[in-house]
Amino acid sequence: MAYPTNPIYKLKNDSITGELNCILKVEGSTNLSIPIAEGNTDYQTYLAWVAEGNTAEAAD
Amino acid sequence: MSTLKVNKLRDTAGSADAITLDPNGGAVLAGVTTVTSVKVGAAVTISESGIEASGIGITCASINGAQIGGRRNLVINGAMNIAQRGTSSTTAGMYTVDRFTYAWSGQDEAPTQAQVDVSSGTTPYTEGFRKAYKVTNGNQTSGAGASDLLYFEHHMEAQDLANCGWNYTSSSSFITLSFWVKSSVSQDFKGYVRTPDGSSHTYAYSTGTLSADTWTKITKTIPGNSNLTIDNNTGQGFQIYLWPYIGTTYTDAGVTEDAWTSYTSSARTPVSATSWWTTNDATFEITGVQLEVGSQATPFEHRSFGEELALCQRYYYRMQNGSSSAYWVAPITAYGSSTNVAMIFLPVCMRDNPTLETSTTASHFSLWGNGTVENLSSVPTLRGSNAINPQVIPIDISHSITAGDSRILRAGSESYIAFSSEL
Repeated sequence: MAYPTNPIYKLKNDSITGELNCILKVEGSTNLSIPIAEGNTDYQTYLAWVAEGNTAEAAD
Repeated sequence: MSTLKVNKLRDTAGSADAITLDPNGGAVLAGVTTVTSVKVGAAVTISESGIEASGIGITCASINGAQIGGRRNLVINGAMNIAQRGTSSTTAGMYTVDRFTYAWSGQDEAPTQAQVDVSSGTTPYTEGFRKAYKVTNGNQTSGAGASDLLYFEHHMEAQDLANCGWNYTSSSSFITLSFWVKSSVSQDFKGYVRTPDGSSHTYAYSTGTLSADTWTKITKTIPGNSNLTIDNNTGQGFQIYLWPYIGTTYTDAGVTEDAWTSYTSSARTPVSATSWWTTNDATFEITGVQLEVGSQATPFEHRSFGEELALCQRYYYRMQNGSSSAYWVAPITAYGSSTNVAMIFLPVCMRDNPTLETSTTASHFSLWGNGTVENLSSVPTLRGSNAINPQVIPIDISHSITAGDSRILRAGSESYIAFSSEL
């Protein structure tokens, strides 16, 4: 299976610069766009998920 | 008229002088018991009802060992009046009342969390509380497992504690937690407060055995401790927990209540009773949560709905229409190549760069302008590569529009856009 089930995160790049823009996640009936921000707890949860050896789906 | 000249007066059966007279006309009284009241001049009356001081000022250094006026309650939404996300959910986490969470694990049937009304005639109601935060247990058919748990939780921003006036490293400086709680099952419930910064510490407490279906006010006065660390930043600095059930994986009979100790996941509280968790549809309600500097629990600080909402919006802000029609969200500008940006100005500066939350159906969002209303084919996403100001948030809208044109982003009544910067 692919995103949003496995992996549960997907990267999204800036359509102009091509740089990493945010991280996408689906939680039930909610779409999340998570900023690259150390103080954001959703981003902290994502980093912990990566630290467990997981990899997000690449950006389109 | 004659004058009785003595230096001291003592009861015939007494062993100490009751009144010592001063040569200049004063008197020192060892103790005073009044039948009705004491009057000082024409303005001050002291009676068993209190102190009445008419038309004069009162000078004092502090009240309850802390600031005299202004905001006392460090807890946001302690009266449970704000519920931006909804009023009922069977999902664990922050899905109903703002700033508070019921979390659970190991359940056979999911509990339900809800913002509910406080019944008229109860003491919380007569003290001005109209809402409570309730969890209704599921049917836990496999019993009270060691790793099962269900807890009430509130996270507080570190800088608010660091700057509140509590000298948290001093054992002679106090902070006081108070709240109203009601359970359908008579039981003693465990809880703790925790400082997550530095070497994390916990202070375990219990409610004592609550009478079933009876609101009870719990007060815990907590001293500082030289081992505590609370950073002056926007992260978590203080956490409040109360557990309708905590399994033995997380408890230890050797935990001492009403004392600070190093945080240990397997020894958060003494062993919990299991009756509540093993009772189908058991309920647990809480309201009036207050944390204040000082050793006394003062009356709850009621704040206006608007003021409390603004405090909550530092952590979560949700745009959703309460009616059946679509609503305006933000103007957008077309960059070209289907890249468009909407700028959303938040009502307050958020704690940190927020996560954008949207409902999942793209066609519920539309662009209005140039004589048409066109539905989107993908939901808006955060434009995170720009340096985000936590009060002005750029949103990416993918849709073919001529570069330089503008539209207005609209959202259907069933859709929502929210920003989360929770702790």
